[in-house]
Amino acid sequence: MTAIESARQTLVILVPEMLILFSAIAMMTAGAFVSLPRRVWSIMSAVTLLVAMLLLFGLRHQVTDLYGSVALNDAMSGYGRLLFVLTGLILLGMAHDQVDDARAPEFFGSLLMINAGAMLVVAANELVFLFVGLELVSIPTYLLLYLSRRNATTQEAATKYFFLSIFSSGLLLFGLAYLYGMVGVSNLKALAFLAQGLPTDPNAVNAPPIMGLSNTPHPILGLIALVFVMAGLGFRVAAVPFHFYAPDVYQGSPTVIAALLAWVPKGIGFVAILRTLTAVLPTGEAPPDNNLTEQAVVLSWIIAVVTMTLGNTVALAQTNLKRLFAYSSIAHAGYLMIGVAVAFRNGDLAAHGLVPGVTPSELGSEAVLFYLVSYSLMTLGAFAVIIGLSTPERPVETLDDLAGLAKSHPILAFSMAVCLFSLAGIPPLAGFIGKFNLFVAAFAASGGDDARMYQSLAVIGVVNSAIGAYYYLKIVVAMYYRDPVGAPLAPRLTWPTASAIGTCTSLTILLGLWAQPIYVASRESAVALASHGHPVAIMASNEDDRSTAEKRLREADEAEREARARRGLQWAPPVRRKP
Amino acid sequence: MAFLLVFTVLLPLVGSLILFGSPHLPTRTARSFALAITLVTMALSLALLAAFRPEVVGAQFAFAGSDGKIGLGWLPRYGVRFALGLDGISLWLFALTSLLMITSVFASWESVTERAPAHYGLLLALQTGLLGLFASLDVVLFYIFFEFTLIPLFFLIGLYGGPERRRASVTFFLYTLAGSLLTLLGVIALVAVYYQHTNPHILTFSIPELTEGLKQIQWDEWTTARTWGDWKADKPFWMTPQVLIFMLLFAGFAIKVPLFPFHTWLPLAHVEAPTAGSILLAGVMLKVGSYGFLRFNMAMTPIGAQALMPLMATLSVIGILYGALAALAQTDVKRLVAYSSVSHMGFIILGLFSLNSTGIDGAVIQMINHGITTGALFACVGVIYERYHTREMSELSGLWKRLPLWAFFFILASLGSAALPGLNGFVGEFPILLGMFRADRIYAILATLGMILGAYYLLLMLQKVVFGPLKEPASHGHHHDAHDAGSSHGGVRPVGWHEIAGLTPLMVLIVLIGVYPKPFLDRIKPPLVPIAAQFDRAPAPAPAPTPATVAAGPGGFAAPGAAPITIIGD
Repeated sequence: MTAIESARQTLVILVPEMLILFSAIAMMTAGAFVSLPRRVWSIMSAVTLLVAMLLLFGLRHQVTDLYGSVALNDAMSGYGRLLFVLTGLILLGMAHDQVDDARAPEFFGSLLMINAGAMLVVAANELVFLFVGLELVSIPTYLLLYLSRRNATTQEAATKYFFLSIFSSGLLLFGLAYLYGMVGVSNLKALAFLAQGLPTDPNAVNAPPIMGLSNTPHPILGLIALVFVMAGLGFRVAAVPFHFYAPDVYQGSPTVIAALLAWVPKGIGFVAILRTLTAVLPTGEAPPDNNLTEQAVVLSWIIAVVTMTLGNTVALAQTNLKRLFAYSSIAHAGYLMIGVAVAFRNGDLAAHGLVPGVTPSELGSEAVLFYLVSYSLMTLGAFAVIIGLSTPERPVETLDDLAGLAKSHPILAFSMAVCLFSLAGIPPLAGFIGKFNLFVAAFAASGGDDARMYQSLAVIGVVNSAIGAYYYLKIVVAMYYRDPVGAPLAPRLTWPTASAIGTCTSLTILLGLWAQPIYVASRESAVALASHGHPVAIMASNEDDRSTAEKRLREADEAEREARARRGLQWAPPVRRKP
Repeated sequence: MAFLLVFTVLLPLVGSLILFGSPHLPTRTARSFALAITLVTMALSLALLAAFRPEVVGAQFAFAGSDGKIGLGWLPRYGVRFALGLDGISLWLFALTSLLMITSVFASWESVTERAPAHYGLLLALQTGLLGLFASLDVVLFYIFFEFTLIPLFFLIGLYGGPERRRASVTFFLYTLAGSLLTLLGVIALVAVYYQHTNPHILTFSIPELTEGLKQIQWDEWTTARTWGDWKADKPFWMTPQVLIFMLLFAGFAIKVPLFPFHTWLPLAHVEAPTAGSILLAGVMLKVGSYGFLRFNMAMTPIGAQALMPLMATLSVIGILYGALAALAQTDVKRLVAYSSVSHMGFIILGLFSLNSTGIDGAVIQMINHGITTGALFACVGVIYERYHTREMSELSGLWKRLPLWAFFFILASLGSAALPGLNGFVGEFPILLGMFRADRIYAILATLGMILGAYYLLLMLQKVVFGPLKEPASHGHHHDAHDAGSSHGGVRPVGWHEIAGLTPLMVLIVLIGVYPKPFLDRIKPPLVPIAAQFDRAPAPAPAPTPATVAAGPGGFAAPGAAPITIIGD
């Protein structure tokens, strides 16, 4: 496979992102010369996203070379990008009337860019490209925060977010550099392959390093990379101790931006953790002197426990809705870290796992991905109800503003209640299935020496869920049992916002009752994340002709798949590393 | 019949969705609709009862999916299935739910006037949750129905309850949720243990498969029995997997029952709940806890149950005595009945953890009895509260003269609750005490004291409220609620047809079970035999025997089936 061919393939699969970016740039440029009502700009954005979604469907069978291209179109990338386009449309429905005509082109342009950036992160197969995607989300977010500056609080929020985000990007970049330094490649799949310390050719016991690259990863470099990447991404997902910006920034920014911040950075942060850490650090059977994954498990255990506990306990005291949801989003980052801790688990299948033929590590990634889907729906749904109820004259800011909602707006109160019960993890709603998966994954990983660690993680998780239920219930109590306080709400609910609310609510209920489609998607994505192929093709392309190399690649893939199916095992080569 | 079972479970949900969908329905239409649905559900339950074959041990009315297993794949990833079926234990609780739901609808007939469609919708949603819970053959499905019941009950208490309703509903919700989440972990742990110790690995969430399979596991940690005294072992006894899982499962069920230190939510929730909510809460919801103990703790972790038997029996006895003494101190009738529930549920757990077939049989029949008598008592209290807007015993006296029919119902239900021989309570509590006496005398003797106290506070209540000179609140108006102030009426309404219709079936059952419990016991006993057989061995455990081998040996206790209840019936 030549470089040109590989670049062509990559460009083809990135057509949706390019379309969105092109559209965003065109809108921002045109906004300087023509003045159109915000309706036009929002329709243009919606059309762009819809076309991008169609393109995603059209491109779903396109493949790229694992080791040659900067972006992938595997199951993770396909389903992940689809999810971000869908949530982008929901966000657009919430945002369509939240900005005045003058600022509309920049506002919707930024929204589109954030969407494109999120999609790039999901598809990225290259450290630098992944970083570009993350920045493509961050920079327009600064713009959005500054665009809506109204008072000192808003400006404080924007400034705080800006500086901390820059700082976290620096940490991340530092970590990524060490990840690169560990083996000397920046392609994630090649990195994953080399980090396992596997021989380059399954038939040769003492194969020479490919193209002079080291295939004995340096554990210390790996540890530094782990800590710094985790720190950099911990900021995006609002995990303790990088969470403290969240309450102030959510409270200081307009509700729609708070909704965006609660979902998009968290979503891409966790996908990036899965792409760069859990899929890369040695999983399967680790080399004997490499306890990097053990350290990774301990690190994520600590982050998970502290994040859940802090988020849930501090949220108990909140009365401002945005602050409450900020702490709730911190708590959910903690639950998701349970899945990450499981995803770091290495070990064989004979004694562990819970689903035949699936490693605990895959089960962990699967649970994280499933939870992200349900989290996005229930959080965006709750924010959408708040946006639907707010008007500039009568904003909905505190718990008291929602008092008596069930009497005045029963359907909105019902939607909010569904989202809140789902966030609390009450069956039969999507949030419950998500939590159930996380707890099952924790038990699936608890077959070895570190069993108590995973079991205690699950116990701490459920205790936290019970604590967390209180503050969600507090909102339900206000809506259903209390009488209205202050001026009556006079929402001007428009159909895009209403359909955003409706979509989130109905999907939250539906996924609770019939979760199979998301299970399939998250399973395929987890398998795609964990597979790193075998670089036969790279070796072969130096001497053989390309078709032979591709044939061998296919054969190797086929053999791997067969072996996996036959033995119920993840592919394990006869000899793991050079003596 | 399998289809009929699924239909019976889902019919109330359909009814509730219709009621939620039409919030402006007049009260009369809403209540008639709800009554129709509950009557049809009752008829279907009776059909299931008639079709039930008593001699079969396993679950009946289960349907098989296309892959030959019970139920339909629901979360195929983990082998969670939508599987419903009934055995002799769940059959009666299923029927009890259907029956008490009719009583609840009749109890709200006149008292609920505001937002009636939502009220009846919540009741019907709760019914689906309860029916589904008892019919579940899959642990996750069980858990989902279990938790689902929280939402309608939360709103029933919070929207239609007494003055402290908000606090009561939140306390109830959080308490139950906290416990049941730990139960969920226990269940997942059971599944994980079963998966990791079967070869080839089997991942199943099916209750019958787990119950059967966990007995066969050959894992030293799992099959070794340790007791309180085993300090010299390499691990203390509570670190054995069976004990740990028992404790996780315990958390949810002990709160639900409620056992002694976890009972604090109960008086509040019962007193603040509307009459219909109290009937269902006491009549059915509390049974969920004891049902869970029987299905999970005793059937799946028998060694853990045996090791912790002293703890369970102690907590039950404390609950029995504490509940009885607290009931004795109450001046509010409803609060008294609520505390009597704490005491009586203690008997049920005591019977279960006597760990022999006599006590377990008695406990299961007592679950049904308690549902009937307490449901009837709460309904009777509701009748009084509706008329006088007070439940204070100091303000009410001699109501026999005013409401003779009500007094008859109230006396019969109280006597049934006090375990008068010839009425249903005796049929349950006597074998419980007998079973416990065989297991450990001291608990039985202490519990008997609770029985005497039970008769004392119930008769005292009857003496104050029913007998003596007639005394009614002056304007019927010691008001708890401001909005009741306007509703003064001249004479007291006599007992209405709907109240009679709601209470009569319960009265018939109180007498019927009291004099002829055989049809009930015939169906209850077969599924209990394998559970009791697990404990049927000499008190001092042989060196590490597996439960499977021991269960085959001759029992140390009296042969199962020799319960003395049949003597009463003859």
